[in-house]
Amino acid sequence: MRIGDAVSTYPSDEAIFRTQTQKVWMGIFIATLLTFPFVSSPYTLFLACLVGIAVISATGLNILVGLTGQISLGHGGFMGVGAYTAVWLADNMGMGLALSMPLAGLLTAAVGVVVGLPSLRVKGLYLAIATMAASVILHFIFVHWEPVTGGNAGINLQNANIFGINLNSDLRMYFVVVPLAIIAVLGERNLLRTRIGRAFIAVRDRDISAEVLGVDLLRYKLMSFGLSSFYAGCAGALWAYFFKVVTPESFPLDTSIFYLAAIIVGGMGTVLGPILGAIFMTLVPEILKILTAVVVPILPNAQVLLSPVRVVVFGALIVGFLLYEPHGMAEMWRRTRRYSHLWPFKT
Amino acid sequence: MKKIFMGLAVVLLTLGLCVSTATAKEDIVFAETALITGVFGFAGGELHEGIVDYFNYTNENGGIRGHKIKHVFEDCGYKVDCSVATFKKLTAEHNPLFYSGDSTGFMKAINPELQATKNTLMSGVSYASELTDETKYPRSFIIGPSYTDQMSILLTYAAKEMPGAKVAIVHSDSGFGRDPIEAGKAKAKELGLDLVEVITTKPGSVDVSTEVLKLRRKKPDYVLFHGYVLTPINEFMQQMKDLGMATKFMGTYWSSSELMYMKAKEVSDGYLGVMHLNYFNMEKSPGKEWDAMRAYNAKVHPDKLTRPNFYMFGWFQGMVWAEVIGRTVDAGKELTVDNLRATLNSIENWDTGGIASVPVTVRNNSIPFGRVFKVNAAEGRYEPVSEVIEIK
Repeated sequence: MRIGDAVSTYPSDEAIFRTQTQKVWMGIFIATLLTFPFVSSPYTLFLACLVGIAVISATGLNILVGLTGQISLGHGGFMGVGAYTAVWLADNMGMGLALSMPLAGLLTAAVGVVVGLPSLRVKGLYLAIATMAASVILHFIFVHWEPVTGGNAGINLQNANIFGINLNSDLRMYFVVVPLAIIAVLGERNLLRTRIGRAFIAVRDRDISAEVLGVDLLRYKLMSFGLSSFYAGCAGALWAYFFKVVTPESFPLDTSIFYLAAIIVGGMGTVLGPILGAIFMTLVPEILKILTAVVVPILPNAQVLLSPVRVVVFGALIVGFLLYEPHGMAEMWRRTRRYSHLWPFKT
Repeated sequence: MKKIFMGLAVVLLTLGLCVSTATAKEDIVFAETALITGVFGFAGGELHEGIVDYFNYTNENGGIRGHKIKHVFEDCGYKVDCSVATFKKLTAEHNPLFYSGDSTGFMKAINPELQATKNTLMSGVSYASELTDETKYPRSFIIGPSYTDQMSILLTYAAKEMPGAKVAIVHSDSGFGRDPIEAGKAKAKELGLDLVEVITTKPGSVDVSTEVLKLRRKKPDYVLFHGYVLTPINEFMQQMKDLGMATKFMGTYWSSSELMYMKAKEVSDGYLGVMHLNYFNMEKSPGKEWDAMRAYNAKVHPDKLTRPNFYMFGWFQGMVWAEVIGRTVDAGKELTVDNLRATLNSIENWDTGGIASVPVTVRNNSIPFGRVFKVNAAEGRYEPVSEVIEIK
């Protein structure tokens, strides 16, 4: 562990960045994020936006599953609610992203609270099934509430802007998505040092004990569902602004599983976990594609022959994480940091 | 003497360079989001190979009016975000004139960007009825009849064969499955057919016994399936035949492949599929291009004795765009998107030499023609049972 960073006050003990080194690294990271779009290709810029949206959504799911211990398979459905709401508000009320996204988040939070009601009676796999059922109901609404959702054909976003600036390029979307992703992560980090965050963790660790200690289970479980859904709604709204179309097929059950896998691979219950998980789940398939392309000069038909292998490798990597690093990539990162802090001495 | 030889060499080299510059024409790039893996893998691999083979065959025969085709692709497993990323990557790196996309979701998502920034025309594996609106999708094109048109062709066939017949529609509960249902209901009414039942199932549903009982009560003359590849069509056919029902079964493009008789065996006998292409294993050669395709296959894939219609789709897709390039060059026009689009829209009664089962005419951003083919399970092939049916 790091030495020489003892603090003498509670606020400094609870500070988000506790050391000068952390602040410097964060500064370098922000500077890198700021310069990245100017040196990247359209393809990598697109992937960066996709990662940003995934980070927001995974962070939201982490609040519910990782911090509060409530399993949810409704996250994709919540993203859908956010996406449809944002597009509807933009197209019909002329709202920009600055207004339509938070409103979409709030509506999704309300839906999330309703979906979370069964969590007061059931937990574990039963709750997973209940939230999955909610996802199916939401999908049904997306298909059949045609005046609002456009039915099977979905709806196209006609008016994508923020403060009057047209969001018609990935570069502009990047400068919207990435700051919002940072705010989302900081929000989660801040939550951890509040009474609410500590209550979530208490519910996760042993709900009966938490209740005995004065944690209102009804309030905090629903609050967790609401917060998580708010994040999902905002991520869904950004997704809709990014792709400019939403259909009932945009957020299938697979989306919920994708985000659940992201936080498990990344490390549940940590701030870093959803970030690393979202990066892993979004970028690894692309990296494997690039690696496949590298083999082409030796094996001309490699892209065809190795495509199925790529899918297997991706699956095997996820299983590998579950087997050999159940605490996820965040734990690997922590170990790496510990090692580098004390290098050349052994940890 | 040495100086003379050197001088001659320089002159010859310069002349050679001039000649090669004058004759070599620019390569035309065709990019593709391949569907080798994922839920569409059952068809995507063959479809991709059809495209690859057609372009190799064309390049081996001198290209299109001297233009060679450069084919670039990446597999995406039928995922919209991956497809959009691949589109951005391939268009940024290769600036393709044509792009083969994938799902309806992708075609919709990429539409604004396609219109706004890229000098590219697109087709894909989607037959979604919405894409027939050229004003909304001016850069996209459906390589065949839309799902609505496919359903209309089958209903037209049924109405002609048995006027006033009782028809049931069974479709999957997916965007793909729901696409032509409302239009199909209206068409059935227009044709004077008695639509007795509309059943929705899960895409890969296996237990269909309750649905079969519903159909048993309604006794339809035809059951029209849409939104499936094979299952549960085979289950429906098996159970309804076991009940002694004389119902005829029919299905749209994706459920009219060779998989039907290869997997469902004799149960599929008499199944009616709608198709705008000819099949690979027709009893008689439908034309010269079809013969050439078979010969090319025998040369480069001697181990593959038959090919599903997904392969034919890939071959035909390449062929359509090659025809558009050829006609545009012949008209002395530049290969710009607007010129190519105008050429595409002007195609009328194009004889594809037996690759398509219909004379190709472009209308409504698609090719709204098709024929009905019937499974001959004993022979292991589809046989044409209707003339060309056009949907106006």
